[in-house]
Amino acid sequence: MDQLIGYFLYFCSLLAVGGIYSLIALGLNVQWGFAGLFNVGIAGFVSIGAYTYALLTTDTSPLHYGGLGLPLAVGIVAAMIASGLISAIIGVICIRLRSDYLAIATIGIAEIIKLVLKNNSEITNGPRGINKIPRLWENFTEERFYNDWPMSWFASAETWQSIFSSLPRWWWQPCFALSIIIAVYVVYKLLEKLRLSPWGRMMTAIRENEPAAHAAGKNVTGRRIEAFILGSMIMGLAGAVLAMHLRLIEPTNTFDPSKLTFLVWVMLIAGGSGNNRGAILGSFLIWVIWSASEIVINVGIDVIGDFTNIHVGILSTRAGYLRMLLIGLLLQYILQKYPLGILPESRPTASSKT
Amino acid sequence: MRKSIYSCIAALAVVSGANADVKVGNPMAMTGPIPDLVAPMALAVDLAEKHINEQGGMFASGEEYVIVRADSMCDPVASVDAVTKLINVSGVVGIVGPVCSGATIAQAESVAIPAGVVTLSVSASAPAISNMETGTDLMFRTAASDAYQGVALAELALANGLTDLSVSYANDDYNAGLAEVFAEHYAANGGKIHLNEAHEPNKASYRSEVATLGANTENLALFAYYGSGGITLMRNAMETAAFSTFLGADGMLAQEVIDQLGAENLGQATFTTSTSDESTHGYAMWKALATVAGLNPLGPFVPNSYDATFMMALAVEHAGSADRDLIATSLRAIANAPGEIILPGEWAKAKKILAAGGDIHYNGGSGPQDFDANGDVAGDFSASVVQDGAWVGKIIK
Repeated sequence: MDQLIGYFLYFCSLLAVGGIYSLIALGLNVQWGFAGLFNVGIAGFVSIGAYTYALLTTDTSPLHYGGLGLPLAVGIVAAMIASGLISAIIGVICIRLRSDYLAIATIGIAEIIKLVLKNNSEITNGPRGINKIPRLWENFTEERFYNDWPMSWFASAETWQSIFSSLPRWWWQPCFALSIIIAVYVVYKLLEKLRLSPWGRMMTAIRENEPAAHAAGKNVTGRRIEAFILGSMIMGLAGAVLAMHLRLIEPTNTFDPSKLTFLVWVMLIAGGSGNNRGAILGSFLIWVIWSASEIVINVGIDVIGDFTNIHVGILSTRAGYLRMLLIGLLLQYILQKYPLGILPESRPTASSKT
Repeated sequence: MRKSIYSCIAALAVVSGANADVKVGNPMAMTGPIPDLVAPMALAVDLAEKHINEQGGMFASGEEYVIVRADSMCDPVASVDAVTKLINVSGVVGIVGPVCSGATIAQAESVAIPAGVVTLSVSASAPAISNMETGTDLMFRTAASDAYQGVALAELALANGLTDLSVSYANDDYNAGLAEVFAEHYAANGGKIHLNEAHEPNKASYRSEVATLGANTENLALFAYYGSGGITLMRNAMETAAFSTFLGADGMLAQEVIDQLGAENLGQATFTTSTSDESTHGYAMWKALATVAGLNPLGPFVPNSYDATFMMALAVEHAGSADRDLIATSLRAIANAPGEIILPGEWAKAKKILAAGGDIHYNGGSGPQDFDANGDVAGDFSASVVQDGAWVGKIIK
């Protein structure tokens, strides 16, 4: 029974992290799939969202600014707004750059953002990071939440304590995963509506043939900036949820480009750029491969050890590197087999309106 | 693709349900920034596992003590994922590890503490870990906090007659924390710090930093990892003769430093690391075991890794069953006085005493390993200099 609960909780964590990556991929899809903007500065926008959320919702601490202890919803909305504002400034400056140059500019900007976060130690506690970030659903069990409104309207502190001690310890994990999935669904639905709307058709026109769209009188720069800001706001939301999941964020390793930026790009391209469903599928697929590959490699090494005479000590010490090799090979296979992505972009045809 | 995932999960279910053994999770930074430091630590963990299973295993039924290794990559995201798998899929009774402080704090706050699982870190030295828990007692470590190493290094600097210096630290959580403690203690005790600057790791050249720092002094306190910029910075300093004396901590203590910079240039370089007091019985026992197994008994955090693994097994044996809720109390009971002294490798003796209902007090190869209220231990530090082409350490008293 415990074993089954264990598998269930691992499945919940796969859903949660896959959902976070899905949000980032959906945001990137708005920028790349809709508008053709080559944004390689994902880590920067996600880190802004994460830090804004962390600084607003943690408890007061001597190590960093604030810890304003605001409600979680305020933190999440503020994360999206902060990301949107910074991307607006960047967009106004950079949006006219062509694809490769925009890529270089956004890489640089992501690094600048991370260095600013790292070096302003009085505000962000520098490389040591911010911990004890409240996590949705789990925060209800923390004293500073159930002693305060709105929970104190419904019942006293003692009642809440007895309710929580009667629940199993892990009750909040499926709730958290489900909340993330609902958020992904809502964002997906909104983006689908956007894609099939006149705005979406105009973005496709701008992406495919910009001079023609210009000639037709469309404000290309304005639309591009809109797409950039919208994508960044979704990434900011994902950053806030990432901060909730990890409960500790720090500027060097958490927002490492090789794991965040590179991986999300692979997820989007493998899943199908331009296709929102593809973004979600790619994210879950690549994340499950990344996470489960450790189990596969360990089981594989055990099996080799049990059924052959090969001494597996050498293999076990290299298991981490073997896993990277396996992930690389699988990515190669997927990208070779589905060069347009597993779910290629589907444009609405003229007849689909009727 | 999907079929192979299902068949692998099925195989895993078969394999894991096969025998009733005691599983302990061991997330270590096998890949990441410091694999050369972590490899001997992993071997020490395996050595402890071997000794325990050779001398009768766990409980009266002789169950096998199994270390389940995972890769935490010295990174919060990866360590949270690795420990989630260890706790939920492998069903471990406790966590021995991780190596890096950021990874340790993230996995503890995100996974281990909410699940009620004890974490016994082998080398996480961030001062923040001491006070990170409220209301729970699940976070322990067998390595002394940086708060102590920074103080020891400051006192060493003053004792060596370095009345003024500049400080340069790599801007990451380990080195920044260490530099802060060092600077505070050094200045408070009469030392003069000209400049205290961060530098970014992994740069190709540090000439500008070296020029700025070396303007007023010949002495440099350097806190960096050798592989991500430390060696480059020292090389730039030596090329421009900006500094003659170098002082630093264990991120720089590697053979690679001697190989790349040349032993003849490192005459005035002293680096500290946590170490064992070689005059104790615990160390003598550990040294004998390590030499037989081909391990360097004074490798950074190598004895700490052995001790952590051994103590986790003793805690489970003391608790009487692989029950996560009992481990924290048992860990304190076997690590602290009173009790019969148990040294590294004495599993059979400890098992007999515990079976008879007695009390034990483990003294490890890296120190007495007595936990204070925060789950921390005190530690000794050594200062290493280059002799005959290798680092030779002497304990700081």
